[in-house]
Amino acid sequence: MAAVRRNKRVAAAQPGFLPFKSSLDDNSSAKRRKRVNKNKKKSWNKFSDIQDVEEFLDDVRLQERATGGLISEKADDSLFFVDTGETDVKDTQAQKTVKKGKPSKPLRIDLILQPDSHIPAPKNVLAFQQPNAKKQRRTSARAAKLAAMGVLPRREKLLQLRSAAAASGVPVKEHPEANNNPDRAFYDLWSAGTPETADPYYLEQTKKKLVKRPDRLNEKPSVLPAIEVIAPGGSYNPDFFSHQDLLREAHEVEVKKQKAEEKLARQLAVNEEKATEESIFKEQVQGLIEEEEIEPQEPEGDTEDTVMGPTATQEKKTERQRKKEKAERIKDLRRKVERQMIDKQQQLFQLRSISASVKKLEQRTKRRQAQRKAQQEAQKSMPRRLGRLKFQTPDLDVQLSDELASSLRSLKPEGSILKDRFKSLQKRNIIEPRERAKFNRKYKLKYSEKRAFREIE
Amino acid sequence: MGGLQKKKYESGSATNYISRNKARKKLSLSLADFRRLCILKGIYPHEPKHKKKVNKGSTAPRTFYLLKDIRFLLHEPIVGKFREYKIFVRKLRKAYGKAEWSGVQRMKENKPAYKLDHIVKERYPTFIDAVRDVDDALSMCFLFSTFARTGKCHVQTIQLCRRLSIEWMNYIIASRSLRKVFLSIKGIYYQADVLGQTITWIMPYQFAHDHPTDVDYRVMATFTELYTTLLGFVNFRLYQTLNLVYPPKLDGQGEFSLKSEFEEDYALESESYTEKLSALSASLARTVPSVEDEEAQLDHFPAEGEDLEKMEARERTELEQNKQKKLFEGLKFFLNREVPRESLAFVIRCFGGQVSWDKSLCIGSTYDETDETITHHIVDRPTIDKQYINRYYIQPQWVYDCVNGKILLPVEEYFLGVTLPPHLSPFVEESEGDYVPPEKLKLLALQRGQKPQEEEEEEEEEDEDDEEEDDQSEDEDEAEDEANLAEMEEKRAQGKSLSVKVTPGKVKPENRMRTEQEEKAEEKRLAIMMMKKREKYLYDKIMFGKKRHVREANKLAAKRKAHDDANKADKKKKKKKC
Repeated sequence: MAAVRRNKRVAAAQPGFLPFKSSLDDNSSAKRRKRVNKNKKKSWNKFSDIQDVEEFLDDVRLQERATGGLISEKADDSLFFVDTGETDVKDTQAQKTVKKGKPSKPLRIDLILQPDSHIPAPKNVLAFQQPNAKKQRRTSARAAKLAAMGVLPRREKLLQLRSAAAASGVPVKEHPEANNNPDRAFYDLWSAGTPETADPYYLEQTKKKLVKRPDRLNEKPSVLPAIEVIAPGGSYNPDFFSHQDLLREAHEVEVKKQKAEEKLARQLAVNEEKATEESIFKEQVQGLIEEEEIEPQEPEGDTEDTVMGPTATQEKKTERQRKKEKAERIKDLRRKVERQMIDKQQQLFQLRSISASVKKLEQRTKRRQAQRKAQQEAQKSMPRRLGRLKFQTPDLDVQLSDELASSLRSLKPEGSILKDRFKSLQKRNIIEPRERAKFNRKYKLKYSEKRAFREIE
Repeated sequence: MGGLQKKKYESGSATNYISRNKARKKLSLSLADFRRLCILKGIYPHEPKHKKKVNKGSTAPRTFYLLKDIRFLLHEPIVGKFREYKIFVRKLRKAYGKAEWSGVQRMKENKPAYKLDHIVKERYPTFIDAVRDVDDALSMCFLFSTFARTGKCHVQTIQLCRRLSIEWMNYIIASRSLRKVFLSIKGIYYQADVLGQTITWIMPYQFAHDHPTDVDYRVMATFTELYTTLLGFVNFRLYQTLNLVYPPKLDGQGEFSLKSEFEEDYALESESYTEKLSALSASLARTVPSVEDEEAQLDHFPAEGEDLEKMEARERTELEQNKQKKLFEGLKFFLNREVPRESLAFVIRCFGGQVSWDKSLCIGSTYDETDETITHHIVDRPTIDKQYINRYYIQPQWVYDCVNGKILLPVEEYFLGVTLPPHLSPFVEESEGDYVPPEKLKLLALQRGQKPQEEEEEEEEEDEDDEEEDDQSEDEDEAEDEANLAEMEEKRAQGKSLSVKVTPGKVKPENRMRTEQEEKAEEKRLAIMMMKKREKYLYDKIMFGKKRHVREANKLAAKRKAHDDANKADKKKKKKKC
């Protein structure tokens, strides 16, 4: 820029330079110089007179705008022509022919919008710049280099693979198959398969090898069988006695339940006395008749006297008393020791009874051990307490004698197998007993009549 | 005394257990997901021995898990899938809310899913483990396959359960491994012997559903999810052991015979094949064409003493089983439309019988009612209009009783309109001295090959209408029964009393067997005499218990007799009134 400006100034200083405006030269040396310190940049800016330079530059710019360059630099041909006094006939003719075909006059609005400057508008640099251009250039260069070597980028590789698979007719499995798909395929799960050759450590770290299931988990939590077959009385056409057996069993269960219920009711019952005529009468006359017996006069003053602080006035023991007590204590001890000695000696003669009692004790422990073991065994088949709720044994499925079907056709199945299975799972400690979650309404329901409905009424 | 003071609940059982909520938080799962995970992985809650210690002093009832179990759960890859699913649901809900339908579509296509294969492999390390535990899976699958498609669970689950249960039934038919059937008021119990494992399962009657409200369907659906996977793999392996094609295919001949003109009336094109499979009337295709009547010979080992006895017993049972497997071979059944088709077809085909039904009843009928070669026609109504002469019209219970009795029972007691004998449970095994119902005694006698004579009489009398004679014959029947009973009881009583009673021996030199027996008895008597006091006491106690048992059984038998007598008297009265 600076170079250009200098050029211009040089051009202006030359003797052949013609200023566009005539006023450029007039006020050049009219003003007097003012004395100012010039040791600061600020004062330079303020007081140096650059008017002439400015004006000159303005003029240069004007020339450039208007004519497309400095007039002084233009060739003479472009500025002047030799006036010979005759108009160019051909030219006018050509214009006429153009006019015939089409009105060539441009719209006024277009004319207004035409730039009147001869200098082309500066280019928008940003429009031509690319962000990251350098990096991109570099990556593309590298890709080109790799492509020349035969290495494709991942994306293209996948695309090629997919297209190849499609061409060969092998369906590309894209969507995972649902677990309950009725047409799903099965295979030999327990076949030996190929033994794993990779490094076990690598497989573990990359989670390709599953953690070994502890053997403890393959034990069943209960010894009960998966399917408990119903008692023979549950046959659709049962033997009389087995049916009766089953009925009795069900009956006993029912009786037990009822007893528990009755007991509860008894315990919860309010013990209220019924009003008899006598009691009603008594109530009515209460307070009307003077009752003398119910006024025992208590001597209050005496009681107050007795309730005093404890009188702890113990006499000191005399020396003699102390000695006596000590002698007694020693005597007691001696007697006890003697007694023990004698007892021990006597035990020698009681050997038989002692051995008998020892035997008895041993037997008892043995019996208890057996009992405990039996109890533990029984516990194995019992449902455990696994949560908030206890396991409730389901009702026995029973058909009464008059409900029994006469033939297979008229049989009405009893109970639900689904419930049976569910209860069996609970009984075998596989799932904990639960109850259905209760629905709690957060807000009360509000009832309102619909308007339309009311209108019909 | 040096060292830090020990704090409470920082060691011992308090640190071995973890409460459910803490476990849930440790896994960062919702309660429902945690429950699902525990069911799938087979982690069960545990009741601690000292609850108060574990619960850090509180006695509130809580569910506890072993901490080690929960640590093990942390490694499960499915946990990640659960979290993914949670996020998927959240995104889907958001997309719905914003009505971004294309987004919803895309998300649905990429719905996260997980596999349970590795869990099945982990929980059942060997195939036999899986077969041993298949009881639960079967019951659940059979149950779910009968559910109505009403939204109680996914329709796909129901379809998968149906498919797997059909595959199982077809395997049982092909391997002929059914052993026992019991028609109970709940459902039908089956027992099969698969690869040496006794497997019991229950099948509900058709259309017998009320949906109980106190059952957690989500939990049951989770179990079913696991069990379907397990059963699928077990089925695959079982089919392999029999050289059957999996998924099952009807063999060429069967497929041809099942082709009918009105196939599209029964089912859609896509469903008709599974429907045909579920008809159970045709055999399956094999990968290796099988040789008919291949019978594995039992290996014979030189054995002595007890081993010999055991082996003989084993051989006997083997023979019996082989005989049972061919129980219905050569018989041709026709099912009337009111009998439970699937169950009967299954049982009959399991024992080699041929079975068919009316064309309009179900797909897969192989012959018509008019077929002259039909031997048994199963009917469950009091009378039938058109009867063919050369076949038995019997009630369905006959089939089941035959299976349980392991022989073809006389058909007379199961004719149309006849009061049926009780259907006894085959799952009851009476020990010695127990009360055995007379029906069972009769059955046992039949099994032993004793043919009661009254059978023939009865047959003759069936045609006769004379009631008195009928009664008489019944009386005779009873008398003979009683005689039998008495005899048996006597035998039993003798068996016991031999050891106790001291009978003066008689010299019978000509009877060698007798002398041998007597010698044995004498030895036993002497042994008893030589017993120590304590042992003697125990022995006496045992013998007393046995005797009491017998006495009770006798009492029951007497009661039964009285009951029967009373019944008969009633009947007579009624008849007289008539």
